Amino acid sequence: MSQLTINNVRISGMSACVPATVEDNRTLSIYKDENEALKVIASTGIERHHKVDPGTTASDLTVKAVEGLLKDLDWQPQDIDCFAYVCTSRDFIAPQTACVLQDRLKLRSDCCVFDLPFGCSGWVYGMSIVSSLMSHGTFKRAILVAAETNTLNRSQRDTTVRPLFGDAATATALEYDPEHSRPMNFMYGVDGSGYEAVWAPYGGMRHPVTHEALEEKEVSPGVFRRGVDMIVNGMDVFGFAIKQPPRSLKELIATFNIDVDSVDLLLLHQANKFIDEKIRKAVKIPAEKTPYCLEEYGNVTSASIPLTMVSRCGERLAGEDQHCIACGFGVGLAWASMEFYAGNVKISPIITY
Amino acid sequence: MNIQEFLENFAEQFDDTDAEAFAPETKFRELDEWSSLTALSIIAMVDDEYDVIIKGNDILGSETIQDLYNIVEEKVQSKN
Repeated sequence: MSQLTINNVRISGMSACVPATVEDNRTLSIYKDENEALKVIASTGIERHHKVDPGTTASDLTVKAVEGLLKDLDWQPQDIDCFAYVCTSRDFIAPQTACVLQDRLKLRSDCCVFDLPFGCSGWVYGMSIVSSLMSHGTFKRAILVAAETNTLNRSQRDTTVRPLFGDAATATALEYDPEHSRPMNFMYGVDGSGYEAVWAPYGGMRHPVTHEALEEKEVSPGVFRRGVDMIVNGMDVFGFAIKQPPRSLKELIATFNIDVDSVDLLLLHQANKFIDEKIRKAVKIPAEKTPYCLEEYGNVTSASIPLTMVSRCGERLAGEDQHCIACGFGVGLAWASMEFYAGNVKISPIITY
Repeated sequence: MNIQEFLENFAEQFDDTDAEAFAPETKFRELDEWSSLTALSIIAMVDDEYDVIIKGNDILGSETIQDLYNIVEEKVQSKN
């Protein structure tokens, strides 16, 4: 089992930016009537999501989230030693979006910046990577972004994805602080044989963009997609999501001797309510310790866990240390679980853009 | 596991379809109530009851409940 313990790093602040435009599932034209929409809402728990207007990218939302966070923390852009950008909907094929953001955010030219192209497991993976770099002690302050514009890389005429996915950017401020930090523990998992459960077949080097890949086709009744659009095979994702995340969390609990009763918050990737409730029950955490934001924002992939923290746990995270366990899972198929403490965290109010 | 018990578990995933409608030869994807959401309930039921995960193609490739039962049975046996 790959496991990791990281010391001396704490979460100092968090922020999130969502697009101003809201799409309500009740009034989506893709359904034949409201009844059909209500059925989907009842089973997924997702009522609406925020959606970028044409021309806006995940990095635009990111600039707002990071600027708000730095202001609320009273940090300067020059204070940042490391900047990681978790996102799959990158601005350009090249360069990495993090490089463009260095200039837009006025980060130092010797700042360590990089993209991490993770999906739903991305915030947990990103936390482990950035915290690990910081634990050496020379990077004092870092920003971990988890952002995604799911409405741009998925077909808007695909009934299997449109009601479920939304757009958001989140920023997590990390600080080297041996005095006020407690260990973070991580477990990882991957099953590459399931890569076709969530994927975009065209647009990479394996299947480059062709004219045909840009043509929208009806792949099943009511489902229109281009070759470059993301495919979510709901049944295979579901089978994976009810199995691996509970197993991963149970491994985390066993490996690090976590007393489940002492857990204050179970932070799950916001896949859908049906899946997440199965995971919650499997690890026996009470409902009141398991916050959700999917009803309002939908599945925002790597931004799900930090958006849940910012939008639903602000008061608790601003107070005494909260004992948290988290699990991100999805495209890859990849998943990761972590245990951490978060308290005295500066949580910025949600920014809309 | 046996087919009778599987049929009962299968039928429990439906709200508006009579229990008599479920037989080994039932073409389940042709039932009025069948939807992608029912499919998810079936996957969850098979996980809960038999501790194996069936794939989307297992469901889409099965015509009758017996076909799906055979797939589940094979997965259970190859696990043991």
